[in-house]
Amino acid sequence: MTAVRDTWIPPVDKQAYREGVRAMMPMALAISVWGVVTGVAMVNQGMSVTVGLIMTFTVFAGSAQLAVLPLLAVGAPLPVVWATALVVNLRFVIFAASSRRSFVDLTLRQRILAGYLNGDLGFALFSQRFADDPDRGSPVQWGYFYGGAVVNWVAWQAASVAGIVLGGFAPEEWGLELAAYLALTAVLVPMCVKFPAIAGVAVAVVVSVMTVDLPMRLGLLVAVAAGVTVAMLAEHLHGRQALRRATPASAGTEEVTT
Amino acid sequence: MGLDHWPYMLAAIAGLTIVTVATRASFFMLPSQVQLPARVERALRYAPACALAAIVAPGVLTRDHDIAIGWGNDQMWALLIAAAVYARARNMIVMMAVGMGVFTFLRLVV
Repeated sequence: MTAVRDTWIPPVDKQAYREGVRAMMPMALAISVWGVVTGVAMVNQGMSVTVGLIMTFTVFAGSAQLAVLPLLAVGAPLPVVWATALVVNLRFVIFAASSRRSFVDLTLRQRILAGYLNGDLGFALFSQRFADDPDRGSPVQWGYFYGGAVVNWVAWQAASVAGIVLGGFAPEEWGLELAAYLALTAVLVPMCVKFPAIAGVAVAVVVSVMTVDLPMRLGLLVAVAAGVTVAMLAEHLHGRQALRRATPASAGTEEVTT
Repeated sequence: MGLDHWPYMLAAIAGLTIVTVATRASFFMLPSQVQLPARVERALRYAPACALAAIVAPGVLTRDHDIAIGWGNDQMWALLIAAAVYARARNMIVMMAVGMGVFTFLRLVV
């Protein structure tokens, strides 16, 4: 029998766990659609079923997986691939910073696993539910978190596997790579709520199209640097009004993604 | 290199997994005294939006490295209409259906 401190998952309150399951259930359909799209996109672009399965069960980050797909397809240098995923995932750093209170006192492996599972939806639900809870981590908080995380994980992985297995059968002229871009747009749109973000995104669009010829797909990172610079400038010029900080949940994606 | 090159893909996947954990667990690993400065937080908020835009835009607005903005670009119109629908309805399933529906309509009918 291992000591309680030695487990991957901290003690969870069963009732809170069930509450977390119930809270995530309504999102399961949207998670599944997104999972199928990601799975189909991976094999449709030429990834083998085996590699696709390895990827979905390890990387577990839908938007990053879709984002690096065009890079992997042309054999872009790995540092560019990783940097791209890192930038797309930077929103999770904000999530981690804002929910750390409930997790920071856990053991190392408990923090690693909780972090790994702390995707967009899990974070959004968790921070709504415990916004006014002063507890620095409790079985109720962890139970709710893991209830949501389990539903999210199962819905995502089941749908991804289905997409990976079925993706090879979809004819190319259906244009399913568009579905992948639509899925990414679903993450992007809720982020464009304020002027600085819209300005930054507009610049990123223009620069990324203009730099499409740069070697090693470096245009993408150039576009991000330009976009962030313009967004920060726009925010500066826009004055204090823009400085009013939105809650992280409202700036992330309310709808879906892992 | 590419999607069918095993060593390349396995190395890519290993790094991507580390990126997932490193970002999602980032602040769970740092001592509580380490805070995220407000300026940095806002930059971190803009970066993913810019990155997603910089992935989607060349994918939809270019063909073989040439700018392809015009009436004949079915993907572009489908995506623009779907994004507009999503901005109002905030329903991803509806948005995907509209996007793929418009694309298929333009491809087969127009």
